[in-house]
Amino acid sequence: VKAIFCAGVGLLCSTFSPSPALATPAAAPPPYEGIYQPQGVDEIGLWREDDESERSLSNSPIVIRDEGLNTYLKGVLCEAVGFDRCGSARIYVIKEPTFNATMSPNGTMRVYSGMLLRMRSEAELAAILGHEFGHFENRHSLNQFKSHRSGTDLLSWAALLASMSPSYQSRSNFENLQISVYGNLYRYQRDQEREADLLGLGYLNSSKLRPQAASEVWQNLMKEIEASTSARGLKKPRFDRIAYTSSHPPQAERAGYLADLAIPEGATRDDGADRYRAEISKWIPEFLNDQILLNDFGASEYIINSLAETGWTADLWFARGELFRLRGNQRDYINASQFYREATILQSDMADAYRGLGLALMKTGERTDAQIALSKYLSLKPEATDAKMIGMMIPKEETE
Amino acid sequence: MNTRFRRIFAVFLVFLTVASPALAQERTAIKQGFELEANSNKKILVFRPTVSVGAQSTGGLFEPNAEWTNEAKKNIEQALAELQAGLGNQVVEAPEAYGDDAQNLQEHMALFAAVSDSVIKYQFFVGNRLPTKKRDNKDDVFEWSLGSGVANLPGASEADYGLFIYNKDAYGSTGRKLLQIAAMFGPGIAVQSGEHKGYAGLIDLKTGDLLWLNADGAMGGDVRKSDGAQKRVGQLLEEFPGSLQEEKEVK
Repeated sequence: VKAIFCAGVGLLCSTFSPSPALATPAAAPPPYEGIYQPQGVDEIGLWREDDESERSLSNSPIVIRDEGLNTYLKGVLCEAVGFDRCGSARIYVIKEPTFNATMSPNGTMRVYSGMLLRMRSEAELAAILGHEFGHFENRHSLNQFKSHRSGTDLLSWAALLASMSPSYQSRSNFENLQISVYGNLYRYQRDQEREADLLGLGYLNSSKLRPQAASEVWQNLMKEIEASTSARGLKKPRFDRIAYTSSHPPQAERAGYLADLAIPEGATRDDGADRYRAEISKWIPEFLNDQILLNDFGASEYIINSLAETGWTADLWFARGELFRLRGNQRDYINASQFYREATILQSDMADAYRGLGLALMKTGERTDAQIALSKYLSLKPEATDAKMIGMMIPKEETE
Repeated sequence: MNTRFRRIFAVFLVFLTVASPALAQERTAIKQGFELEANSNKKILVFRPTVSVGAQSTGGLFEPNAEWTNEAKKNIEQALAELQAGLGNQVVEAPEAYGDDAQNLQEHMALFAAVSDSVIKYQFFVGNRLPTKKRDNKDDVFEWSLGSGVANLPGASEADYGLFIYNKDAYGSTGRKLLQIAAMFGPGIAVQSGEHKGYAGLIDLKTGDLLWLNADGAMGGDVRKSDGAQKRVGQLLEEFPGSLQEEKEVK
């Protein structure tokens, strides 16, 4: 029976076995073929829909419109995939604290601010951007659309036939077919991700950046997920398992083959960590704040600590203070006050740190110190939106 | 990508349970007290119509078709101008917006989509109507607004009303039609082939109030041809204020 199903589903039925292509360093990308235009009714149709969606995205309030940041990201993309290719993509930074980036058929690349927060170097960023560009170069959206269509076409006829002979056997055959078709669609999607990884490393190997960074992205992500689950008291996640509906290969598998795909000679190359930090540092407070509001204590603390590996800054101490204060257990306020104090030691005019310190101290009953900190906040930021509310916590004579 | 899969599942649910009573519903509402006399020579600003035309695959997926969409858009815009000229109104295309204006416009386009979606879901059609909106229906109250911010939209100062149009067509592919026939003669299941839905709304460009909204889940007229588009626009603008006489002729 399976053979018949497979004949019907066609290409989709190929089972995945770890391709030998993923075990040796990735080859350089194929030569650039010039500006690509969509071909055939499906692709032209998808691009048109996508053009409309990009038109609204370009004016959407969730996009961070900062010329400096955009120029920098575009530069890294060009560095990664080559200056000839990179013209086909437009990057939009989306204010969204999760770790993600997407590529749509017409070359619209959406980069989430949460991804920028988690990257540690230009090479890591280039690995992600290269992967997304790989989706574009290999027309993955189009292929996926076609595979969805043939899968659902087949299932429609099968459902019709099954409903014409309402026996247990035909029903069960149909259900098996359904499971296998959907399973293959998901598997196909994962294979496309592997293909984009392969292509992405091809770009990175030919660039000036250190290709080994690609694997480190996933190693860091696994550590973050572990930190997140352990803070919530959950079972340690399995990074080698593929769920039926997984859209991507598991992190451990990716970290493994991405390391194999990197050329060994590249290990000594620059990964641009300093340049990356210099460009992104002014965004860190905002991105960290968005992350903290996700209410994922373990992951947020992991991110703050890993950013602090190169040294604690006032912004990082402040973010850590906010993280603890917003969790809001009595014990957290003690820690939070300490972190805010560290922040004010490094930057004595950091108004928000005094605010946090004052509010945390209020909660632990240290009223006098709290009021001193809050009046300091008001004197540093008299125009603050919450000035009136904070003012109510300070005795009259102190505000005057 | 997950949403796409969920959509497929949903499509299947529809297919398997199929005899869905279809979306063949249409409904119009006019803000209480609003009247637009015929030949009052008002200026109507038309915002970029959302038009999407394609085919419906055998399994029910939407297959966008750029050529059809472009044709349809052109035909609809033309038919709209003709129809409004017949009513004695002048149609003006909203100017291209830049910078902050463009962002403001985008927000209002999204706001209109959200508001009209709410009207359709919670006031118009049976299934999910809110008790307060049922009461409004009984009392003939139709009160929704985008807010007076619309007055600052590009081109708004030179026009009286703003018109938003949404139109989506999925023409049943050959495979879908064969499936429909086979399902009808085989197990006797009604499979829907093709989907033609849309809505249009008129707002007051000074107050932002929604003056008129028409939603139709199953329209006729082939938008890919100019005479078909005329019929379609006639249905999309059915019961457009001041058009009650005209309407009979269109039908």
